[in-house]
Amino acid sequence: MQIFIQQLVNSLSVASVTILIGIGITLIFGLAGIVNFAHGEFLMVGGMVTWFLVVSGLNFFVALVGAMILVGALGFAAERGLFRFTLDRPMNGFIMSIGLSVILQHVVIRLFNEVQKTIPDPISGVWMVGGVDIIAMRAVVVGITVIVVAITYLAISRSRYGMALKASIADPDTAALMGIPVRRYVTGVFVYGSVLAGLGGALMIALFPITPFTGSVVIIRGFAVSLIGGLGNVGGAVLGGLILGLVDGLSAQYGYPEWTDAYSLVVMIVILIVRPQGLLGGTLGPRAT
Amino acid sequence: MPALEISGLRKTFGGVIALAGIDLSIEADKIVGIIGPNGSGKTTLFNVITGVHKPTSGRVMWQGKDITGRPAYQIARWGLVRTFQQAMSFPGLSVRENVRIACERARGDHETTRAEWGSPDKLLHFVGLADRGDEIAGAMPFGNLRRLGVALALGVNPSLLLLDEPAAGLSHSEADDLMELVFRLPKLGIGVCLIDHDMFLMSALCERLVVLNFGTKIAEGPPKLVLNDPKVREVYLGSDL
Amino acid sequence: MKDSPSKPNAPIGPAQDAAPDRPEVVRRAGKTHHGGRSTLAEIVTAVVVAGFLVGFPSMNPGYRFLSLAITTGFTAVALYGLGFQFGQAGIMSVGHAALMGIGAYTAGILAGKLGIGFWVALPCSALVSAVVAGLVGLPSLRVSGQHYIIITFCFCALLNIALTNGGQFTGGATGLDVGSIGSAFGLNFNKLLNTYYLVVVVLIICLLATHLLVNSSYGRTLRALRENETLARAVGINTNLHKIGALMVSGAFAGVAGILQAYYLRHISPSLYGPFPSLYLALMVMLGGSRLLYGPLAGAVIVSFLPEILNLNPIDSRIAYGVALLAVILLLPGGVSAGCLNIYRWLTSKRRP
Repeated sequence: MQIFIQQLVNSLSVASVTILIGIGITLIFGLAGIVNFAHGEFLMVGGMVTWFLVVSGLNFFVALVGAMILVGALGFAAERGLFRFTLDRPMNGFIMSIGLSVILQHVVIRLFNEVQKTIPDPISGVWMVGGVDIIAMRAVVVGITVIVVAITYLAISRSRYGMALKASIADPDTAALMGIPVRRYVTGVFVYGSVLAGLGGALMIALFPITPFTGSVVIIRGFAVSLIGGLGNVGGAVLGGLILGLVDGLSAQYGYPEWTDAYSLVVMIVILIVRPQGLLGGTLGPRAT
Repeated sequence: MPALEISGLRKTFGGVIALAGIDLSIEADKIVGIIGPNGSGKTTLFNVITGVHKPTSGRVMWQGKDITGRPAYQIARWGLVRTFQQAMSFPGLSVRENVRIACERARGDHETTRAEWGSPDKLLHFVGLADRGDEIAGAMPFGNLRRLGVALALGVNPSLLLLDEPAAGLSHSEADDLMELVFRLPKLGIGVCLIDHDMFLMSALCERLVVLNFGTKIAEGPPKLVLNDPKVREVYLGSDL
Repeated sequence: MKDSPSKPNAPIGPAQDAAPDRPEVVRRAGKTHHGGRSTLAEIVTAVVVAGFLVGFPSMNPGYRFLSLAITTGFTAVALYGLGFQFGQAGIMSVGHAALMGIGAYTAGILAGKLGIGFWVALPCSALVSAVVAGLVGLPSLRVSGQHYIIITFCFCALLNIALTNGGQFTGGATGLDVGSIGSAFGLNFNKLLNTYYLVVVVLIICLLATHLLVNSSYGRTLRALRENETLARAVGINTNLHKIGALMVSGAFAGVAGILQAYYLRHISPSLYGPFPSLYLALMVMLGGSRLLYGPLAGAVIVSFLPEILNLNPIDSRIAYGVALLAVILLLPGGVSAGCLNIYRWLTSKRRP
């Protein structure tokens, strides 16, 4: 039983990072209509910044906030400087994001070299919860994610802001005519999603080493999670993250471990084909161009 | 022998009943008009007939063949062609290329039509866009787009043309020009079924009118009779008269 | 209204002008297919390009540049496929390298297991890649463009995993060794120069094929479904069939590129055909331009040669690619080739009295 709970917390902590990035993507793709392939690099930059600040002597949690702010600013710059010009042709925006991801990866390599980075456990040790030993840091990751999910759900899904966003993506012109400041809302969602990516990166490096290429590994899971759950659907992203976490866990125990990533991909492709709007339903993303 | 026969056609979208069981016959050598208030199911009727949507139940027969639920491209190739309420074109391509694409689909069984409109340029000349062949379709003013839409539909060599509000958004003279063209089509072997709201136009043009309301047919017959039918007047003008 | 004019086919009234009180500023389609001057320009360009391709070795490029040219050549072949599916049918993919991989591994497995050499394997690679491309393309009929791009990315990642874990059959992570191209036409292909000429011939065939496809009614059909899918169906185009067809054509090109790469490198491994290479292919085709005839070639050449000429290290050159891509998308959406065409038109139009 003890082992089961420990395993559960471990899996949940990994799933948490995936969920954070998935929420960012589902909001940005589903509600702002921007497909940002560089979102994984945002997470990676968040992690790298955290590493740099911690190595320079700052407290982990201060570094975490620093990473969130920096990646948020990065997102703001990207949206204002790049994606804002391609909102009516999302395909071009997607291709630009490929370029952006390449740039970010290699700039980081230039600044920090390719070797993987890691930091000492910010919270070491083990907590006793209900008679079970749980690794403290992992529990903290899960806890932070739960809080963020709750905030996001309330602030976006359930609020007028969220409704306005859904309207904007379904029909931007009509939404604008109704007085919704579509452009500003889009920027807001993009920055929020980027901040979440920064947070995800900081939490990730607290758990595992990261390299400049971590972003491209993570992005696929982020897309998978948001597409499985439904674009723009926060609950869907959580569900997607949990499903993929479950698939990973099962494959580690019962399947062929080398095929682990493959199972997640197959699950996603099947869901996309059978139920393109995702399990919990979502928007259909930007109008296809 | 009617070319297009519709029996018991129903279409629901979720909980909304768009078509509540329509029976209709249209010959291939007449002009028939479909009128009705907004939301009465006129465009949905066209959509279901031409394969854009599958009907919930009912049957569509075209030239003796059951075409219910067949794919839209197939139905177009069989000579049952429609235009759209929004002016549709291939926006990034030139006008000539637009028409050429349509003409390349045509199966020649209407020899007269092909002789007159065998080439894209002749077709452009017919709809009055002769000197605009090189323009980019997406940049054209709305009236020209409508003409292009008609050219595209004619290019596919139709036996029956379903026109969805062809005069909407056009000026009076533009609309007159277009309707003059429509009037000539039966003599060229092309039947017409059109949706519009202009009652003068419809009664002048159509031999028969069909009135829809909430997805059912409430009246059918020669324009004068139909427009004087109390049921029809009630639907359009309210029952206080 | 009831009395119609005597001539049933006379045109209806005059068309609308853009704005009657302003001078007519209409957007005109550029290239005509029957204009004398345009065709001459086309032929001249074709001759120049072909001449350059064939004459390149005579400029004494040395081993390194010749090898680079060969790599650029078969990469361009793959790009012609991607450019065709995106430029004509409007379907983008970031899994194109996987299709190259299918071609390469088909050749490798045929060579290793059945002793089948290059010339017989060539059509096989093209065919297998085309079929796989068609299958992977089926989801595109159900989902939108952005969703489909992600599916292609996943397919690429999946293939990577499958190849890495394919054991004996695929050589696993180390990959497969491939022999050399058997002699044909009296030429020994162990000489680098002859391999270069082979690639040039294939490339020229690709250019011709692309030109013919694009300017045929098939090309127009694809453009129609790219521009307005609903309308395309309404004029009788079987959009599903044509989408899959375009993807299969693209796959065939990729398969040919793959087998060329396999026999050039003499060794293939899964890392050559993963998501990263696919992204670079997408980057190259967007940089060069996907709609004009020389776009894909331009993209391949720029990305391969510019770093050499400017002496950039691999990291800086990748940053440069990324920046160039952003610049192209924002400023020159048609790619470098479209930019060049615009400059040419601007120059020639100034000479008109």
